[in-house]
This record gives sequence, C-alpha cells and structure tokens, in this order.
Amino acid sequence: MVTGFLGSGKTTLLGRVLSDPSMSNTAVLVNEFGEVGLDHHLLRRVDERAVLLGNGCVCCTTREDLVESLLELLDLDQRGEIPRLERVVVETTGLADPAPILHTVFADPVLQHHFSVDLVLTTVDAINGDLHLDRNPESVKQIAAADKVIVTKTDLAEPHLVEGLLSRLGAINPSARVIEAAFGETDVDELFRPGEGPAHVVRPAAGEPHDVGETHSVSLTFGGPVDWAAFGIWLSMLLHVRGEDVLRVKGLLDVGERGPVVVNGVQHTIHPPEHLDRWPDEDHRPRIVFITKGIRPEELLDSLEAFRGLLGARPLPLGAEQGVASS
Amino acid sequence: MCVLCGQDFVAQVHWTDRHLEDRARAAAPGSDPVAFQGDRRRDRAHRVTLTNEILRHYGLRLDDWGGSKYVLRDRKGRSELVQDLGSLWPAAAKLAGRSLDPLDPALRETLVAAADGDG
Repeated sequence: MVTGFLGSGKTTLLGRVLSDPSMSNTAVLVNEFGEVGLDHHLLRRVDERAVLLGNGCVCCTTREDLVESLLELLDLDQRGEIPRLERVVVETTGLADPAPILHTVFADPVLQHHFSVDLVLTTVDAINGDLHLDRNPESVKQIAAADKVIVTKTDLAEPHLVEGLLSRLGAINPSARVIEAAFGETDVDELFRPGEGPAHVVRPAAGEPHDVGETHSVSLTFGGPVDWAAFGIWLSMLLHVRGEDVLRVKGLLDVGERGPVVVNGVQHTIHPPEHLDRWPDEDHRPRIVFITKGIRPEELLDSLEAFRGLLGARPLPLGAEQGVASS
Repeated sequence: MCVLCGQDFVAQVHWTDRHLEDRARAAAPGSDPVAFQGDRRRDRAHRVTLTNEILRHYGLRLDDWGGSKYVLRDRKGRSELVQDLGSLWPAAAKLAGRSLDPLDPALRETLVAAADGDG
C-alpha cells in the first residue's frame, strides 16, 4: 500500500518502480491517473467509495471499490487470464487515512483468505513535508501507519531541512524504516523486498519517548514472556475505548514460545497476529512501539504495569536500557 | 453454520482468536481433534479467568457458554451473549453503564492491589 502527502512524488516513484522488470507480476490500483502517465499492463483505476459502518468510526470503514477490484484481480488470476499475480500495489489519495484499506482487506470474508497486507509505504517530500505535518493530522496518521517512509526530492531541499525532517519522522514513528529517494530514484528491491514485510522489520529505536505535538511514541520491552491471552485482553480493551488515538502498535512479543508473536495494528485494525517459528534476527528482546495521539507514554506504561499480574511480566521502557544496540 | 446447534456462522475471526484458528488449520489433517479441543477449552477457560479479574472491578462476570460463545452477566441478573473480545467490551460497557478503559486509574489500583495480594 502506497500512501503519501499531496505532491510528494508518489506517482513518480510508482512510475519508476513499475518499470522495473521484477514488478511485472504486480497489479496496481490507483485513484487517479495523474499527469505523470503510469504505464503498466495491470493498472486499474478505482474510485474511492467508502462505506461507513454502523459504529461510525472512520478507520473501520470498508472500501467497496477496493473489494471489487481485488476480487476481480483474484478472479482473473485464478482463471489464468493474467500472469500469476504476486503482489498488488494500492495507491491512496493524498489525504486518505490508511486504516480503512487495511480494515477492508482484513474484514472481507473472501479477501482475508487471499490477500495479506505486506507493508505500507508512505512518501513525504523533503520540501513540504514539515508543512504537511504541521497542518494535516492525516499526514501524521500516514507516517504512523508506515512500515517504510520514502523521503522524496531530497536533491531539491536544503540539507539541514532534510536532516530536521528525518529526525521528526523518526520521532513520530520510530519503527519505520526511512529511505531517501532523490530524483525519484530508488532501489525497487529495497522498497518491496520479499520476506521483509512488517513481520521482519520491527526496529524500535532505543531512546526516550518522543513527543511531537499531540503525537507520542514510546518503545517498550517486557521483563519476561507475556501471557498472550492477557495481552490480547489488554490491547482489545484499549482499542475499544481509545482505538482512534492509538495510531500504531507494532512489535515482536515473547509469549513463551520458540518464536515471537508479531503484533501490528493501525487504530482499530489489527493484522492477524503471526506466531513466528523463530526470531527474525539476533535480538531476542521483546519490543513493541506505540504511537498515540493524546495518550501519554506514562499512561500506557502505568496501565501495563497494573496488568502485570495478568501479563506475567513487567513492562520496561526501552529508553531505560540505552546502550543496548538496537536492531 | 451448524444446523445442529443453530449458531451463527462467524465470517470474521477476531484477532485475539486467530492463534487458535491458525493452529487448528495447521494441525489438520490427521491430527488428533480431541487434543485440539482440549487446548481450545483450556485457552478459553484461561481467558475467562483473566478477563474476570478486570470485569470484577465493574461488577460483571464472564462465563464460557458451550465452548462457542461467552455469556456476560451483571449483578442484577442481566446478561449478554458475546462472540469474542471484540464484542465483549461494547457489551460490558452497556451493562456497566460506562466504558471500560485500561488506562483508568481506579481500575489500575484494583489490579495492583490484586497483584500485590497474590504475590
């Protein structure tokens, strides 16, 4: 899923990426054919049609257009009318909240069995990025939802502005990987590397909790294995009352099994948790990042601390053990 | 849908139930269904115990209902059937007359007191 601020070079980037031979089995769903002509044999245009569900929460809307397009692709693929479909890139409009797209895929009775969300890419342009973050709450949500953030037009901006933006992005979402792309040039492999989905990129930076205006982020670990049932109770309870304020949850939890559980969520929408057979790298510490709006990191920590009897382990802020190399 | 028990067909598995579903799928075929049912019952019982630690603060109680749903009760004898944790919290808020917030300092105090009492 590719999201990005208006004019941040999303389409330019997509154009470059799609011309790469490795992307020939990738379908692309875009909202509009912009001025930059995209040329790809599996390009589809979708009109954003959101259906708000009964509870009226924006992140739990279903994008009907997306359901139709994905089902059509699935149909073509299964009838063998297109080359074997490996991947679908969904481009959102500049102002789109990414959560409904995730919700659509996870909640649809057919789609949930045929598609999984590999990763969310968000483009930010180095010149106007700061301005967007100041003015549009949606842009902060897009950064929070991202697994990888691509900073475009770095060739056109003053180096110190680029530096400032990079550190701000890192503060909003410490778990995302930030990639610079000058001239729309980027390594396709780096953006869509197979086997490097959200499951394998959990990189909370060790450091103090970050506050950017109303947005806070905090990286935690636990003093031992946590009870998965208890964690599910705590998180589902939190999301029920404060889901719209939990912009992102992402982490690897030790639940006393051989491998960790991957927890990944955007607002009310949680990816189906994956129980891995083994840890993806040398670092076997449980780690989880929360990005919130208006919920202070201390509140989360205090709450998890109060739940310690049920969880079976105490939460510890990762900042407390600085010096431990973060992955 | 099962015609014998008439229960709803659940198209969407709540994320907290995914682990069990995945295990059931990974285990088939040829695995021992009885062993899986045992695991599943244990998991559900464990979840009920843990959830009740929290619900007690709000005067509510949860019980497994035939291994397929849960029944939530308050002290006045009102009850609600819920499918999973996703539908539990709204139902609990309705019975309790307020939302159940894990960040609520009063709930935290209750839980800390319970944890200290145990330890």
